[in-house]
Order: sequence, then C-alpha cells, then structure tokens
Amino acid sequence: MNPEPFLQLDRVIHERGRMAIMSLLAATPELSFTEMRDTLTMTDGNLTTHLRTLQEAGYVAVTKSYQDRKPLTTCALTTAGRKAFGNYIGLLEKIVEQARNH
Amino acid sequence: MDSNRAAEHLQVIRTLMERSALYRRALAPITLQTGVIGLAGAGWGWFGGIDTAGGFGALWMTVCLVALAAAFLLARRQALKAGEPFWSPPTRRVAEALLPALTAGLVAGLLVVASGGSDPARIGWLPAIWAVLYGLALHSAGFFMTRGIKLFGWLFVLCGLGYCAYRVFFQADAGLPRLAEAHAAMGILFGGCHVAYGCYLSFTEPRKNET
Repeated sequence: MNPEPFLQLDRVIHERGRMAIMSLLAATPELSFTEMRDTLTMTDGNLTTHLRTLQEAGYVAVTKSYQDRKPLTTCALTTAGRKAFGNYIGLLEKIVEQARNH
Repeated sequence: MDSNRAAEHLQVIRTLMERSALYRRALAPITLQTGVIGLAGAGWGWFGGIDTAGGFGALWMTVCLVALAAAFLLARRQALKAGEPFWSPPTRRVAEALLPALTAGLVAGLLVVASGGSDPARIGWLPAIWAVLYGLALHSAGFFMTRGIKLFGWLFVLCGLGYCAYRVFFQADAGLPRLAEAHAAMGILFGGCHVAYGCYLSFTEPRKNET
C-alpha cells in the first residue's frame, strides 16, 4: 500500500479533539464556544487549548462579542481551514480507497 | 494509519457534521407550553360558546400566534441562559423548514373561514387540514432536530387524516353545540398531543439546556 496519503495527513487536524472541532465547524457557518463544548463534552480548558492550536494554524477564527450584555465567543472555519479540512478528508478517502483496491 | 482507522475517522467526521447541524434546545418546556396554550384555546372556544366561523378562525389563529411567540421567547431565553446565539444556523434551518406548511395552514384557515360563513360542516374540516399541515411542518423541521420530531409530525398527519375519515364516514349529530366538536378536536390534537409529548420529553430529554 502506498504510504504517501498517510504521510500527507495534516498533523494539526489529525488529533481526535481538533478533528472533532473542525468537523463541527465544517457543517455550520459558526458555532458558539458553549455549543461546541456541550456537543463534544469537552472541558473549557481542553477546548480552549485545541482552539488556540487551530487558531495559530490559521484554520479557525474566534470572535468575541456580547449578547444581552453577556460575553459570547463564536468560532468559524477560515478559508484556509476549510481547504485544509477538505484535503484531510480527501486523504482519508484515498487511504480507504487504496485498501479497497488491494 | 490503516484503512479501517481511516474509515472510522470518516464516520466520526460525518456523525459530528450531522450533529452540529441539529437544533439542540430543550423541547420539553416548549412542547408543554404549546400544549397548555392549545388546551386553554379549546376551553375558551368550548365554554365561551364561540360558534361562528369568524370567531373560530380568529380564536385559533390567535392561539397559534400566541403559541409561536411563546415558543420563540422560551427558545430565546434558553439560548441566552446557555450563552449561545439565539438565531443560530440550526434555529434558522428549523424556522425555514416550518414556514411553508405553517403559511399554507394560515392561508387555508383564512380561505375556509372567509368562504364558510357560519356553516359548521365546512369549518369542521379546519382541524384536520391544520393538523396535516402542522404535521408536515414538524416533519420538515425534524430533519434538523431530534428524530422524535419527525415521528411527532407523522402523528399529526395521521391524526388529521383520521379526523378526515371520521368526518367522512362517521359524522353524526351527537347533540353537541355548533363547532364544539371542532374546538374539541383542536384541543385534543394541538393541546393534548403536545402535552403528552412534552411529558414524554420531560422524562427522556437531556436536561443540560433547559431553562
């Protein structure tokens, strides 16, 4: 089997927590911090750490605002993030496809 | 990474993407509230002796608007309490899915009331029409909500069709006051069904997002 697709997998996304965050954000224009935390049953600290990593990679944009005088943090995929996630899924599909053909 | 792990990852991604598109607000309080408003409307119609076409239409369209407004406010309160945006993409998708069938129900109601005069036989079809259209609205919204909502939509469609069959085959003069039967049907369909489903959800729904 050609190991190339596996070697090309984006290490930033290829971690369970960050892959879950990217998956959630890929299906919706934006999500609040609490929605993600509740859906993924992550702790605040864990989610913050993963978001920071994704933010540093330029894959996620974090916006802080106020709703009814309460702070509201929303996250969205950047164009680069969407493209990287698309490539990541493409590579996973290639790995599955290769196994089928062998 | 072997192909099985890759396939597993793809499945996890798919599940998470589907989950993020779902509307997740607690439905038990909203459903119970809607049911109570429906029962109150039926009581008002029955005991208030509302037996004109205009009165029937005005009462039930008002009940519908009040129920919608109350559901809107409760959902907004839940969102604010959870520190989440109210008009989120899932909320918008649910509203868009509900809209066509609810609009059809409104227009059908206005047409039947406008053309029916005070003929209870004609007005009597409205609960069935509204139940079917409401069921279709719920079924559409169910694509963006928990699976139970689709089944709840089916319940309304079947009840509406059942009520149609009852009117066609078994309509008999039971000695009820005019339009009382239609008020009772509305109370059972929109009040009773919502209260029953709300009670079921109260025991089964995760409580995290409740107000």
